[in-house]
Order: sequence, then structure tokens, then C-alpha cells
Amino acid sequence: MNTRISRSLVVLAVLSIAMVISPAVVSYPTGISGVKDSGCNCHGAVVSPDVAGSISGLPDQYNYSEEYEIVVSFTGGPANAANSNQGGFNLWVSDGELVPSDATVQAYGVNEVSHTEAGNDQTSWTLTWTAPSSDKNVEFVLHVNSVNGNADGNNGGSSGDMWNRLSAKVSPPILVLESADPFVVLSTLILVSAILLAITLTYVFYRTNPESFTWDNFAPWIAEWLTTTDHKKIGTLYFVAGMFFLGVGGIMAMMIRIQLSVPGNDFLTQDQYNQFFTLHGTTMIFLAAMPLINGFANWMVPLQIGAPDLALPRINAMSFWLQPVAALLIFTGVFSGSGADTGWTGYAPYVVSETAHMGTTMWVAGQIMLVASSTLTGINFLTTIAVMRAPGMGWLQMPLFTWSILIANLMLFLSIPAFGIGLIQVYLDRVIGTAFYDVSAGGDPLLWSHLFWYFGHPEVYVVIVPAFGVISEVIATSARRSIFGYRSMVYAMAGIGVVSFIVYGHHMFTSGMSPTLRFVTMLTTMLVAVPTGIKIFNWLKTMHGGSLVYRTHTLWTLGFLVTFTLGGISGMFFPSIAMDLHLHESYFVVAHFHYVLVGGTVFGFYAAIYYWWPKMTGRMMDERLGVIHFLTGFISYNALFWPMHRLGVWGMARRHHTYFVSTEEAMGALPIEAAGWNMFVSVSAFLFFFSNFFLIANMIKTVIRGEKAPADPWGGWSFEWMTASPPPTPSFDPHNLPELKDANEHIANEPGTLGKLFNRLMMSEDEEVAH
Amino acid sequence: MSSYDDHHPSGWGPHDWGHGAPHNSWSPLIMSIGIGVFLFSVAGVYEWGEFIDASYIGVSIAGLAIVFIGLTVWWRQDYTFDGGYEPRSTGTPFRGIEIRKVAIWVFLMSEMMVFTSLFSTYMRYRFGIESCESVFASGEWVEGASVTCFEPAGHLIASSWFHIAPGAINTFALIISSFTIVQALRYAGMVDIDSDRRRKLVTRYLGTTWFLAVLFLTLKMIEWFLGFPLPEFLHEYNHGDSTIKSLYAEGYLINADSYQHKYYNTDYVASHGHGMDHDSALYLMMEEGTHSGGQMMANIRVSASTFYVTTGTHGAHVLGGIIGLTYMTYKASRGGYTPENAVSIEYFGLYWHFVDLVWVIVFPFFYLY
Amino acid sequence: MTIQNALFDGLWDYYIWISLLVSIFTFTWLYHHSFWYRSDKGGEHDNPDEIEVGVFPKHNDDMKLEVAWTVAPFLLIVWLTYISWLPLASVWAPVDDADFHGYECEEGESSNNALVGEGYNAIVESECYHVMEITGKQWVWQFDCLELATELCDTSSETIEVYGTVPVLHLKEGETYLAIMTSEDVTHAPWFLGLGTKEDVLYGQDTSLWLTVVEGTSDQIILCTEYCGDAHSVMAAMLNVHS
Repeated sequence: MNTRISRSLVVLAVLSIAMVISPAVVSYPTGISGVKDSGCNCHGAVVSPDVAGSISGLPDQYNYSEEYEIVVSFTGGPANAANSNQGGFNLWVSDGELVPSDATVQAYGVNEVSHTEAGNDQTSWTLTWTAPSSDKNVEFVLHVNSVNGNADGNNGGSSGDMWNRLSAKVSPPILVLESADPFVVLSTLILVSAILLAITLTYVFYRTNPESFTWDNFAPWIAEWLTTTDHKKIGTLYFVAGMFFLGVGGIMAMMIRIQLSVPGNDFLTQDQYNQFFTLHGTTMIFLAAMPLINGFANWMVPLQIGAPDLALPRINAMSFWLQPVAALLIFTGVFSGSGADTGWTGYAPYVVSETAHMGTTMWVAGQIMLVASSTLTGINFLTTIAVMRAPGMGWLQMPLFTWSILIANLMLFLSIPAFGIGLIQVYLDRVIGTAFYDVSAGGDPLLWSHLFWYFGHPEVYVVIVPAFGVISEVIATSARRSIFGYRSMVYAMAGIGVVSFIVYGHHMFTSGMSPTLRFVTMLTTMLVAVPTGIKIFNWLKTMHGGSLVYRTHTLWTLGFLVTFTLGGISGMFFPSIAMDLHLHESYFVVAHFHYVLVGGTVFGFYAAIYYWWPKMTGRMMDERLGVIHFLTGFISYNALFWPMHRLGVWGMARRHHTYFVSTEEAMGALPIEAAGWNMFVSVSAFLFFFSNFFLIANMIKTVIRGEKAPADPWGGWSFEWMTASPPPTPSFDPHNLPELKDANEHIANEPGTLGKLFNRLMMSEDEEVAH
Repeated sequence: MSSYDDHHPSGWGPHDWGHGAPHNSWSPLIMSIGIGVFLFSVAGVYEWGEFIDASYIGVSIAGLAIVFIGLTVWWRQDYTFDGGYEPRSTGTPFRGIEIRKVAIWVFLMSEMMVFTSLFSTYMRYRFGIESCESVFASGEWVEGASVTCFEPAGHLIASSWFHIAPGAINTFALIISSFTIVQALRYAGMVDIDSDRRRKLVTRYLGTTWFLAVLFLTLKMIEWFLGFPLPEFLHEYNHGDSTIKSLYAEGYLINADSYQHKYYNTDYVASHGHGMDHDSALYLMMEEGTHSGGQMMANIRVSASTFYVTTGTHGAHVLGGIIGLTYMTYKASRGGYTPENAVSIEYFGLYWHFVDLVWVIVFPFFYLY
Repeated sequence: MTIQNALFDGLWDYYIWISLLVSIFTFTWLYHHSFWYRSDKGGEHDNPDEIEVGVFPKHNDDMKLEVAWTVAPFLLIVWLTYISWLPLASVWAPVDDADFHGYECEEGESSNNALVGEGYNAIVESECYHVMEITGKQWVWQFDCLELATELCDTSSETIEVYGTVPVLHLKEGETYLAIMTSEDVTHAPWFLGLGTKEDVLYGQDTSLWLTVVEGTSDQIILCTEYCGDAHSVMAAMLNVHS
């Protein structure tokens, strides 16, 4: 029964995916004014093999810049010398220039020619092709129409007309390899990664129980994953999806770095580059960082607070499943070659202009689904943390990771509706034609910036604050100390949460926003340094008098302290507006946010992986591979992002497809050293990318034959270390919840003043306490 | 804990609720796919307001159908819920409260932000773009050229009592429905009546709520698209017009870049009502002969977008309520609500009160002011 | 060809010094503690705080220290805000605020702008300013000198090897210009690399930017730094400075 259902569901899923993707594939937009692929529709849609086009005068191999006179003609079809009109053609060439020889032919740009009105009554036309001056594989695409010139022929009557197409290739003097289309490279890599992922998962399934590796076991196994509402399994799903998209975003970053490794490079066209950085940003923030955070939050929050599951398990599953579908929508553009090219910020009015690619609509639609997903996640976590703490655990006895998830979700929850509404407005503008951001109808582009950054700034704290939580857990456990200043840690995080809503204007220092607002946000932005400073100093003080045990997660935590401090310091340059005017949108900004997002969030979550892996899988990770991962990753990471600060100050602009250095012959924007540094950055980028394979190898290796993990391998205090590794389902017996004791007796088990007030307000007298 | 081990609920429902929350569901996956298909295909039907491809209409309906299948699975799992396992809070300060009630309140918090964002958009444009009335009175326009200005829908709607009627009736319908949902909750939770009478009363009140919600959307459609005729004796109270035109018929549309209305026609204004304002710049200019008067043409796309999207978002919430009420009324008619699980009516009621409350704010801002 | 303008340089150097101090302080602390307090038992746990599963650990705090490192960063940022204030006021000087750039120049008048102050206090002051216009559109800059004399402001175009044909703006050393800017389609932002300044140009709105061409300003590239579509990266222009 279950097998049949899951089989049919897989078929349904495949069909739906095919349905989603197929129209995008059909509309592959490389046609020349829509002619190249869909045929010349001006004369009916009948493709006929009877019509035979030909191109004569083309060499097999061209000489540089030589002019060739070529004749285009066709035979067959209804064309007849007696007709008033006989036919037409359209010729497109990938390189070189096409020039009409007489008045029967007209040019559309240098790549495309067609017949004129005067050329209607012929079946052959003459023109000139100038070969390119460098080695290119040249492709010609010819469309010909054979016209019967029927009654209303002059008025464009097209019944009975036929057309056909023909393509031809001309080689350059020195043969060159076809250069790969970066999109094909990316799509292939994504597909290969997906297949590898599927194979890995199947293999892991196989290894866990080799005897029962049959379809009858596999189908319920996969159906279980597709339908699960268990917080631990959903956490794993998030984790796998997050790691996958971290890889996809990484591949895009690598292609960006190939493009930028030398000045004036054209590995990616402008058009492709713009899509790559847009999707890199969107993927990394929404499809990699957020799912990784949610993965750990799903896993650890119920375990840490002693709850059997999250408050709303099915809603939790819904939050997750919205994400892969959203990812498909976001990536439809890539597979059709016309993805969003707006930057992850998607500034209006560009985002609603027709110059933005078609894929932008789907990019927006996908993000609407992600907003829905985050909202549901927010409801779930806020409720769970507020109401499902085990007896004895007051607000100020929660583990700091749970606190960080609470603050992060609160920030996200209160800000993301603004983004959602902005996206819906853009979606409606692009689809049904509302005019929210149509400037000519009175729309205000800054409204989008406000809605976006009102969300966008809390969002960047949403991805860093959970890393703070992880670091607080890891450093305390590793140093064998109680975290220094637990309460000031909580207040600092809450402070960051409050401040996050009033600093967003610093993204708009150079916009046309009112100077007063810009000034206010400068002050508040400076303020962020205070709670962040408190946290860093508290972490450092935690080590004092402790006994620091060096494990891989300890190394990543110390690495985090270095990189995050550096990122925090470079952040202090921006609120000084006279400097920001120069640094805004430069590589200095790129360096800064990668220092906090990679050096902060990603390093924090690497620490989390090594820290909680034994709990999640029941297997210890390989420490030697872990240390290698840390050393290679940490060094190449710094080599990758540190030089970007200097590049930015020199004048390297963000989101620029290429850059030019000043040489003796020509003036460029950057000094000549910039070329060398960019190459250095690109090489380091690849090293960093590949260093992550040590992590992947480590994960696969330990799942298969890792040492069995005890319940509390590191000596932590919170509830997750009380359960077995891996924990049972439900994580805690709802009828026998654990109870938190408190080593500080004076506040043990007593709700605080606020808690007492709430108790009085919120509990009716006849209601019984559940336990 | 052993009771969990032999408990293997189907992903399709219905569930054995005595064991706690369901552990598997196909619904989330199905609904997500449906939403994806829907968002994808709608963008295939229209592009910048231009009709592109009718074949995508079918796909978008298919998307909605998939969502609906998912929803049915969800409900099928919930249908057997008899209050036997209503999870309650263990954490201070909410100890003892139903968890799902807290979740609904949290959800309403984000709903609040949704409407706040819509209202910020409204305020930005309402106060940032000069209103059509003042542009008209300033005389800074010429016949035949479109001016960009903000035309609040309230200007059209509040011009006649009959035009306000659908909105006004809707306001009362929603307020009454807030009352009926509470009545349904009251009777569902009443212990000392026999179950058949409870079943009838709960069904009746939920049904009434359902009816009022449907009435709301129907009147909204009349107001947006259909309009309605007036009996003859009322014509004189309606500036002599025999029908109340819909907003659509008035040309109040998101693509109205050359909106014309009789109120912005100097001839009409001079001959109807109180005539032209003699202090206005337009009047003075026309007196001096520097302005020839005539019909002002306006680009009101921003104002129409704001109006339709805000009230439409509210309408979508009402539609969501109707879908929920359909299920609940069905469940009630089969005697599904007892004092043990009556609180689930309260969860819906909280949402429904919120939708009501939003309307109470939307109505004056968008219909009267 | 490092930077740029003295105004940026002064602040930059100062911030670098502060950053160095903060980093040295933090990292010394970090390295000291991570070696001094390391476990010498190779992974076996000491447990100085008697941490136990299921028990909220003993508080480990020190009010004085926590207040100290709340107040210290706060004072630091107050100081940083204070020193950023004057440069901020000067880059965003309102039009017709006589404090920095005087009033619009009469014909034949010269700005005689000059760098006043040193280090982070360095700002540019001028006697008067000239008004010109910049318009951005996909993907080209347009400069309009309005009624300024050609020796003050002139436009031309030049073909340079890498960017192709780009518009060139000729400005005079020692003069201050107020650029009134707008866009014809989407948002752009001119970045005057050597002046260290930029501001968005918006469709449907005017924004403004002070161009203080002080003595010694070199010829430079102007880039677009608000993403505007396909040819965003080559939407360049040149600023030619003459004396």
C-alpha cells in the first residue's frame, strides 16, 4: 500500500517538476527576434522539408577579416515565378559582420539580415560577410520562406506558405575548441551535484543496513523522509538541502572568480555574470545559510529545552517543503538561460523594468514562497520556545543557542512580512501590471529599498545571531566553564535584535533618502558595535581560568573569533559617512560582509557541525580530517577575502562583470597591482572551495564507519546531552519530561517578576496545570 | 514511550489522535508543489498586464487543485481530532495554555506586519503624490494630456450613499460574523446540552458565519466588477443616475493611465451640485481665460494598485476564512465538535476577529477617506 | 593612485589606527587565553565549574567587567561619531549653507577651494560653487555644463582602449561643483574614483553631489555603482582635470 502510494507520488512529483520546467526550456531565448528557434511565423507555421535553403560562397575555413560574397537561395515549396511574391529569408551569424549588397536585403545590426519589401519577389539574395579578425567557430542560421503569393498575398496572407531552416559552420584559420557555455557548465555541475547527492544518500541508506537494501524497504524509507514531521528528520532534510545549495552557491562563486581572475576577462558575458552574482547571493542567503540554521534549530531547540517535538510538527514540514520548490522556481531562469539579474537586493525600478531578464519574475515568486516558509518557521519556533520549555527552565535558564534562535526568529518574523509584501508588489507589477514601482505613474523606487532593507538588515543578523549561539555553546563547553556573563549575553543578543530594526538606513547612505534619516541610522549603526563587543569580550573571558580542550569545533570557534572580530572592525568604517561614500558598493563591502557571513555564520556552523554531529548521527567525527579541514579552510579563506579590502579601496566596484587596470597605454579604474591580487584571490577561492571536501569526506566517512558516540561526548550541560545519541522519537516522553535543576539556588524554579505577572494574567483559575 | 513504537499513522490520514500529533503527512509536500505550480503559471498568463498565453490558465488551476488536494489530506488527518490530545504549554509564563492558541496569536503578529506594510505603501503614496482633486483645482493640467495624481477610491465610493452601500453592508456582515463565530464556540463548549442540539446549534452558527463571509466577497465583486441598478424613486438621490457603476465600469483600474471622470470635467462640475469652487485657481484661470477648462485626464495606476492590492489582500484572508469555515461547518454538521475540542473553533475565531478588525481599519481609509 | 582624496585619507588612517589598537587588544587576549588556559590532559575533562547534564551551571559573571566592556566600546563609538561629524557635514553640506561652499558663483568668480584642517578634520571649503547636471541612463553618462564657461566645465568624448568611447567631463582644478543629478530609467550612481564620492541618481527625483576638485586631483575614471542591468560594468566616463 505504502509502496504504491509513494511510487505514484514520485511519478506525480516528476511530472510536476517536468511541467514546471518544460515551458522554460521551450522558451530558450537565443532566437534572433524570435526567429531562430521558432521559425518565421510571419508566413504560417508550416515547416516543410520540400523547401530547401542553401548558402553558397562560404569558405570551409575563413581568413581573418576577409570579405566573402555569399548567395542565399531556396528551392521548392509553393514559390512560383508567376506569384507576386515568392519568398523571404532571415540569416543570423554568430560572428563577423553581414552587410547587404543591394536593396533587396536589409540588415538588423551586424549579426542578422533579412529581405526587404523589394526583395519579396525573388528566391535568391546576395550579401557580404566580413569574417572576424580572430579565431572563432562561426555559425550561420538561415530561415527561408517559400510563399505562394495567394490572393491577399500583398496584405500578408500566409496560408499555404512554408518555411525551413538550415545551419552552416565555418571554421577559423586556427582551429579553436568550442568554448563551453557557462550556463551549461553550471547546469551540468548542479545536476551532477544533485545526482552525487542522491547516490550518496542511497549509499548511506545501503550501508546502514545492507541486507535490507530492496525497493520494498527503500520506498517506505524515502516516503518516510518525504512525509516526516519529526523535528530531527526535518532538521536533517534542512541540513542536506542547505549543504547542497552551499555547494551550488560555491560553484557559482568559483565561476565568478574565474571571470574576475584577470582584467577584461570574458569567460562569462556581462549578461551571464549579472545572473551569477544575483543567484550566488540569493542562494547563499536564502537557500544555504537559512536552511543550515533551520537544520540546527530544528534538531537542537526541542532537545535543548526538553520538548518532545516542535509545537506544530506538520507546519514545520510545510516550512521545509516550500523551500525546495522555491529553489526550483528561483533556478528556472538558470536552466532557461535568462535568470534574474537584479542583485539579491533587486532594486526598483530595475526589477520591474523590461530590461531585467524574464527569469526575475520566477526569482521573485520563489522568494515569496521562502517568505511564507520563514513565517511558518517563525510561528513554530517562537511558540515552541515560549511554551514548551521543560519544567524548571525559566527564560533565563535557556541554553544560549535556543536564545539565539528565539531572537533570530523574532527579528525575522517581524521583518519578513515587509519583504513579502514588497515581493508581492513586484510580482504583481511584473505579472498583472500594477504600478507600485512604475516611476512614470508616480511610483517610488525608494519604497522598495525601505521595505527591502527593513527586512534585509534584520535578515543579516538573523543569519549571524544563531552562529553567536553556537559559539557561546561551544566555547563554554570546550573551555569547561560556564559561559561568562550569561545574562549580559542574552541582553546583548536582545539588544542586537532591537537595534537591527533601526539601522537599516545605512544601506541607503548614498540613496536619495532624506539626510535626517540617514544621519539617524548612522548613529544607530555605530551602536551595533556595543552589544557585539560585549559578546566578543564575554567569549574571551569565558576561556579565563578554564581548561580549553582542543577539538575541531574549538578550532573553528577560535577561527570565528578572529574572522568575526575582523569583520566587525571593518564594519565600523561604514557608518562614518564621508568614508562610506567612497566604500559603498565597492569590494571593501564585499570583503566586509563575507568576513561576517562566511567568517561568522559559516565558521559558526562548521563549529556546530563538528559539535553536534555525534548527537545527530551517533558517530564521532574524524578529528584528523577535521583539523586538516580547519587549517586549509581557515588559511585559504583569509587569503581569499583579506585582499578584497584593498581592492575595494583602490576602486574595484561590486557587481561589475570585469575591471580594467591602468597600464602605460590606457587608463583603467584600478592600479596595475590589482590584476595580480585578483588572480591571488581567485586561486585562494578555489583552495577554499576544495577545502570543504574534507568536511564532506569526513561526514560520509563517519556516518559509515565512525566511532560510536556516547550521550555526552564533550561534557555539556543542556538537555540534548541527556538523550541518547542519536535521540529517540519523540525526543522526550511527553508524560515524563525532564526537569531542569539550577546550580544557582536563589533563582531556581521561580518565575521572575514578569513571569509572575504573566501567570496572573494568563491562567484562568479553574484551569489545571498540565503536569 | 512504547505506545509510540507500534503507532504508524498513514501519511494520508485520518489519524489516531489518542497518540498525539501525527508523525507523517503527504500534505506539506503536495501543497508546496501546488503553490509553486500556481506562482509559476500565473506569470505565464500575464506579463506586465498583457495577456500572453491562455494555456497557462489551465496550469494555474491545476496548481490550485494540487494545493486543494494537499489541504484535503491535511483535513482528513485532522478530521478525527476530538480534543483527546490537545497539547498544552509546559513553560512559564504560559503554563497550561493550549499551545496552538499561542501559535495563532504569534501568527496574528506577522499578519499585523503584513497589513502594516500595505498601509505604509498606502501612506507613502497617499501623502507623497498630489491628489487628483487638488491637481484639478489648481488648474495645472490641460485637456488631452495625462497628469499623474493620486485618486483615492474613497473619492468615487463616498460620493454617493448607494456606492458606499456594499462596503457598509460588508462591514456589518463581518462584525455580525464575529458574533456568530463566538456563538458557535459558546454552544460547542456548552456541557449541559444534549449532543444533537449542540450539533445543530454549532452547525447553524458556523453556517451563518460562512454565509456572511460569502456575502462579503459577493458584495465585493459587485462593487469591483458588476455594479447594480437602482429603483427609479432613488435616482434623484443618486445625482440622477439610474445605476451604481462598478469601479471597473468607472475605469478605476490598475492600468488606468488616462482616467477620466465626470468630477474632473469643468462642464459637469459647473452644472451639477454646488458648481465650481469660486476660490479655486482653476476657476480664476478660467475666468481670466488662461485655462480653457474641459476634461482632466489622470494617470491613477498607483492609486488603483494600492487600493486593489490592499483590499484584495484582505479579501484573500476572507477567502481563506471561507475555505476553513467550509471544513468546520462540515465537521460540525457531523457532530464533530464537543466541549473537549471546542477550543479549535476559538483558534479560527481569533483569526476571524483579526480579519474583521483589519476591515474596520481598511474601510475608513480606503472607502471613506 | 591609492586614495583618492585627503578627506577620505585622514579618516581612513585614523580608523586604521583605532582598528589596529582594538585588534591588538582582542587578539593578544585571544592568543594568550587559548594557549595559557588549554587543557593539558589531551581531551580528558577538567571540570572547574562542576558542569553537569541537566543542571543550569553556576553563574560566571562579574558586573564590573561587563559594565566596563559595555562602556568602553560605547565611549569609543561616541568618539568615532564625533570625529566623523565634520567630514559628514561637509560631504552632505546642504545647498546654500554658507558654511562649506558659499553660494553659487557669479559669472567669472572662482571657488578657490582648499583643504582645511588635517587628519580626520580635513575638509574642503570653497568660496562659491558652480552648478552642473549629470544624467544617467542605460548605459551611458550625460554631463551638462549648463551655462558654465568652457574653461570651467566642458564635455567631450574620447575612445579609450578598454571602455570604448566614453563621455569625458573636463573640470578645473580648484573649483567646486554642485552636480544636480537624475536618471532617465533605472537607478544608477556615479562613482568619482579619485574624489572618493558617489550618490545614486534616481528616475523621477533629483539628487545632488558635491564635486570638490581640489588642486592635485588627477584624471580619473567614473564608474556606475548602482546595479543597472546588462552593461552596468562598462557604464563608465572620464573626469579630466585641468588647471
